[in-house]
Amino acid sequence: MTAMRVDAKVVMLGKESVGKTSLVERYVHRRFLVGPYQNTIGAAFVAKALNVGDKVVTLGIWDTAGSERYEAMSRIYYRGARAAIVCYDLTDSSSFKRARFWVKELQNCEEHCKIYLCGTKSDLIEADRSVRQVDFHDVQDFADEIGAQHFETSSKTGKNVDEVFQKVAEDFSSCALEFMQEEKGVDLGQKKDSYFDNCCHN
Amino acid sequence: MSQRSERRGIHVDQSELLCKKGCGYYGNAAWQGLCSKCWREEYQKARQRQIQEDWALAEKLQREEEAAYVSSHSSSQTQPPQSHSQPSLATFSKFEEKKTNEKTRKVTTVKKFFSPSSRTAPKKVPPEKESEKREKEKEEKLQGRRESHGETLLRDLKGIFTQPWDMGSPTEESHEGKTPSPSITRQSSIETDRVSRDFLEFLKTLQKPGREIHKQSRAFIESMGNKKDLSAEELSECVQDFYQGMSDRLLNHFKGSSEKVDRVMDQVEKYIMTRLYKSVFCPETSDDEKKDLATQRRIRALHWVTIQMLCVPVDEEIPEVSDSVVKAITDIIEMDSKRVPRDKLAFITSCSKHIFNAIRVTKNEPASADDFLPTLIYIVLKANPPRLQSNIQYITRFCNPSRLMTGEDGYYFTNLCCAVAFIEKLDAHSLNLSPEDFERYMSGQASPRRQDDPAAWLQSGSRVNPALSQIHHNLSVLSNLEKRQQQVMEGAQSLQTELAEWQDSVAREVQEILERYPLEIKSRASAIDAENVENDRLPPPLQPQVFAG
Repeated sequence: MTAMRVDAKVVMLGKESVGKTSLVERYVHRRFLVGPYQNTIGAAFVAKALNVGDKVVTLGIWDTAGSERYEAMSRIYYRGARAAIVCYDLTDSSSFKRARFWVKELQNCEEHCKIYLCGTKSDLIEADRSVRQVDFHDVQDFADEIGAQHFETSSKTGKNVDEVFQKVAEDFSSCALEFMQEEKGVDLGQKKDSYFDNCCHN
Repeated sequence: MSQRSERRGIHVDQSELLCKKGCGYYGNAAWQGLCSKCWREEYQKARQRQIQEDWALAEKLQREEEAAYVSSHSSSQTQPPQSHSQPSLATFSKFEEKKTNEKTRKVTTVKKFFSPSSRTAPKKVPPEKESEKREKEKEEKLQGRRESHGETLLRDLKGIFTQPWDMGSPTEESHEGKTPSPSITRQSSIETDRVSRDFLEFLKTLQKPGREIHKQSRAFIESMGNKKDLSAEELSECVQDFYQGMSDRLLNHFKGSSEKVDRVMDQVEKYIMTRLYKSVFCPETSDDEKKDLATQRRIRALHWVTIQMLCVPVDEEIPEVSDSVVKAITDIIEMDSKRVPRDKLAFITSCSKHIFNAIRVTKNEPASADDFLPTLIYIVLKANPPRLQSNIQYITRFCNPSRLMTGEDGYYFTNLCCAVAFIEKLDAHSLNLSPEDFERYMSGQASPRRQDDPAAWLQSGSRVNPALSQIHHNLSVLSNLEKRQQQVMEGAQSLQTELAEWQDSVAREVQEILERYPLEIKSRASAIDAENVENDRLPPPLQPQVFAG
């Protein structure tokens, strides 16, 4: 597990008990709350390989502590992250306020980090529409404004869960491709410096 | 060493006190029992001789190493040995110069009067030690990682003036800082030797590029030897540049196979950092040491923080959980003893795994980050790991960045950084306490445990200390056992009395019946049992018969 090479760092952000861990659990182990927990010792870090086209992208998914007492430290967590899944509870408007806070932080500190807004517990809303506290269109507008993707998911039914991570991997892959191409242009010029090439031609 | 430690006691024997040379002046243990004048003479001679020998040995080793390479790559071109020993010449003489300074200076330090150090004893060292010492010096020469005498002096003074518990755990390095005993330096030199050998072995499997890697790494280490005055950040940049350049070239060479590159880079990191460790870990130019002490003091001041305040989801009453907690604490302390950033990371990871186990056993479900971080904070508070800030800085500066940023190790390391940041910033709000309470606890005026009634204190106390909780647990088990034994005893007694009563009642009943129906025995002849004369007429009993043959 330790030896697994990770391509991209993905951080899960969100208030306590919005279901960050459940979302990851659902995605990686395809289960919700009940299940054979004995096999995993922790869900705080998972490396998951995905197929994107004909390539394999490994996401390192970082769970973070959402409690407000650790707010000052969250910057340490998302340093160098390529994607952030900002979670909020669809039935809790305060959790969306906190989500806005993280989005602002990310925009200030990590410009290379793509943001994915992720409403959780959508199954509760399907059962009873009156419990919804965060309007879909409000979030969509906000997402458009900040250039983020927006999903409403349910870890219980699995709705949209795979889609979020697939999207993250696809975006990363296409992003990395551009990055690679850029680098290659530079590399060609430097090739002469390579002493290993010299060595092999001997 | 044993020979010298005997000497450490106070001897009143006159002959012991006088100069060994018999010049009539008093000698000094720090000068091998010579007086200052004789010592200087002796020492100069011995040193001169040693320099010569060191030189010869260093050259010989250099040649051997080269030869090993040439023989393992007999097809590749031969490297003339001078090309390598030439640049090292300058560093070597420089090092010797420093050593002289250091030695003469050290003799004058106060410390000498308290604990005779072995560093000033080139003559006394037995022959086999001397060769090893030379080996060590050769190592150091190659790396140029000698600490300047100013630093040693500083540390020496610290060793005297700071209380021993101020210096953190008795790890190899902190010992080295305080009293540089030959056995420890030798140990580290053996370690560097082993790492170098492993590195060479590993590079052999790579054939031609291996030689280049080795050359580059060595040249880099030598160049780092001249950069001691740079700030920690600049040093870090040098190393990171080197990593970057090396991995770029490797990537080119292996045609983009990043796994192979990673494997090589791990080895390169191990080799380089083992050798550079001394000079770049907690360098003088940084204030790491100050931060270490500040953090250590801070953690000590926070000794009153309980599991409940941090909302740690761990129940240390469960034996398996307290086991894991102890292991986690051991690992995080152990981290300091490693030299390679990656090894340090491995210890952090192992510590985290134990924490996860503790949480899983307590909660019976896998831990999320909301559980993990508070527990890690709690572990750090309990462990108070030595030189925590230095270690974190060292890993950040000199670890291969690809590992640090994304992988699992990186995740746990980030959490550790968070935990430390939290501890530094910790205030009343973050523990859900009122500012007044927090102040009182911090100043030691009150303790959160003693405020409540004694029973509650006992309980929270048991939560704080696993040993205490174990004792409480044992006590309750004992009292339970006692109660049960009492019950058993009571049961046994009642059973006894019941038995006695029953016996009595049976006896009484029998008596009653006997009385009611008195036994009248009428004499009546019995066929067999009665003693009658007809007995003789019975046939004799059967006898076993023996047949011959």
